[in-house]
Amino acid sequence: MKAIIDCNSFYCSCEKLFRPDLEHKPVVVLSNNDGCIISRSDEAKAFGVEMAGPYFKAKPLIEAHGVATFSSNYNLYGNLSWRVMETLRMLIGTDNVEVYSVDEAFLNLDKVPKQQLHETVRNIKDTVEMWTGIKVSIGVAPTKVLSKVANRLAKKNKVITNCILILDTPRKIEQALQRTEVEDIWGVGRQYAQKLRHMQIETAWQLSLKNIEWAHKHLGGVVGVRLLRELKGVESIVMEEELVNKKMIATTRMFGKPVKDIASIKEAVATYTSRAAEKLRRQYSAANIISVFVVPKEPSTTGRFRHGPSISAYTTLDNATSITNQLIKPAVKLVDSLFEEGRLYKKAGVTLSGIVPDSSIQGNLFVPEATNKSRMLMNMMDNMNFAMRDDIIKFAASGTTRNWKMQKNFHSPRYTTRWDELYEIG
Amino acid sequence: MDHEIFSKAAYTGTKQFTQQDVQTANATGFGAAADDYAERGIDLNEQLIMNKPATFFFRMNSDAMVGAGINAGDILIVDRSIKAMNNKIIVAAVDGDLMVRRYLQSFNKATLSPENKKYKEVEINEFTAFQSWGVVTCVIHILDANLMAFNKNATQQKRK
Repeated sequence: MKAIIDCNSFYCSCEKLFRPDLEHKPVVVLSNNDGCIISRSDEAKAFGVEMAGPYFKAKPLIEAHGVATFSSNYNLYGNLSWRVMETLRMLIGTDNVEVYSVDEAFLNLDKVPKQQLHETVRNIKDTVEMWTGIKVSIGVAPTKVLSKVANRLAKKNKVITNCILILDTPRKIEQALQRTEVEDIWGVGRQYAQKLRHMQIETAWQLSLKNIEWAHKHLGGVVGVRLLRELKGVESIVMEEELVNKKMIATTRMFGKPVKDIASIKEAVATYTSRAAEKLRRQYSAANIISVFVVPKEPSTTGRFRHGPSISAYTTLDNATSITNQLIKPAVKLVDSLFEEGRLYKKAGVTLSGIVPDSSIQGNLFVPEATNKSRMLMNMMDNMNFAMRDDIIKFAASGTTRNWKMQKNFHSPRYTTRWDELYEIG
Repeated sequence: MDHEIFSKAAYTGTKQFTQQDVQTANATGFGAAADDYAERGIDLNEQLIMNKPATFFFRMNSDAMVGAGINAGDILIVDRSIKAMNNKIIVAAVDGDLMVRRYLQSFNKATLSPENKKYKEVEINEFTAFQSWGVVTCVIHILDANLMAFNKNATQQKRK
């Protein structure tokens, strides 16, 4: 059997952990720059606060109901996510856990004897909640797609299911599929859902009755066939190996407030490039395509670039590199080509692609010595920044004033990652 | 054997090291014997943290527990995977507040007891919203914060 475990309103649960006064109270967490609502507690949902809605729109509702509001505290969420995943790995073994996102993981329960399934799943849930303080929902079924179906239903009927639903008989699977609309199936996008509805296929159960040839023709070939087989209870999406290297690395941020001078944008782009290069080095890769984009506050009506709200440009480097300064230089140059005097900009981003394994990691015979030296310098810098935090060493191009930095007006302390922000208790 | 790992958490603790992390004396000749006895140095994480994903740190900011050897400013190591039992010092969530107290449980009542006469005992009854947050396993008392660069920074930032 496969299971998906999913943290309930994860970011809100993290905020509630150190705030027992907020238990059973409505809580929301805002995105970077306090723009949108990205997590809502059940209580906030009950008041009609909408997901992904802009904060300013929901503000009257939030204030009227006294909803506790937080800026996103990714240091805290990242740490608690690690704790949840580590607990799972300790409980059922590293090889049986596939981290799917910050708050979700697939579990391979094939080795659990059938009669122990209920007890095991309950034990996993209770242990995660006790150790980390994060409440979770678990869906269990013969395949990944069905476990997603189970998880969704478990969450929808918390009172009855107590956040656990196990589909271990054909009868239960049928009932669950009948209660699942096509658009709620994992992997069915909005367009396919519409298409299916046109064909009078409304529920997951109806879809599961189709045959493989049909799926091949109408459900996007191989991917659709796999989905259908999973719905029929035949395992077709395997547990994936962890630590897949990213093929693209992006760092994108909103500015704290719109910026109109090129110097600030260059600083921001240099900072994002540093961050992206650090991510690149962390996975032992190098990149040779660097692309930069900026988003003006108001879309252009005239001028060269009129495609969508963002304006971008890229360059290809002769050699793939992971050395920050070798990436900053072309990135900053790209800003020159994108910037238009007199306009206000609200966002910028850097994307590194053309990713290959970094040949300069260990002294390589075919790599010039200077590159090896730079690589050592980068290692040193990464280690120091990792140990001392807050980018204690950075390139001058990243600037010192950083007046473009994000707004975080409702930030909670980084209780689990900073010695000077520990919870003060009496 | 297979199902054994499910019934009880396998301890991995903080042992995130390989044999390559063990220092060698790197000596030749006469001193080389030292290499035969090379072992890992003492690591406080390993000694003081039993269950890393369940361990959290707090800073005490009151004198409510001085009798138990916890002074204001001390760091507490709190393990959520240990059950609150009679006589343990716990972090308790009481009516929306977190506090450190000794948990005393007898056959007919439970109380959260301070170790300082200035503070009142909290009785846990049907009207108290009580939950054990975790059990305090260690107290770290830093004698002179000025000696430690990191703590110095922390205190300076506090003053601002």
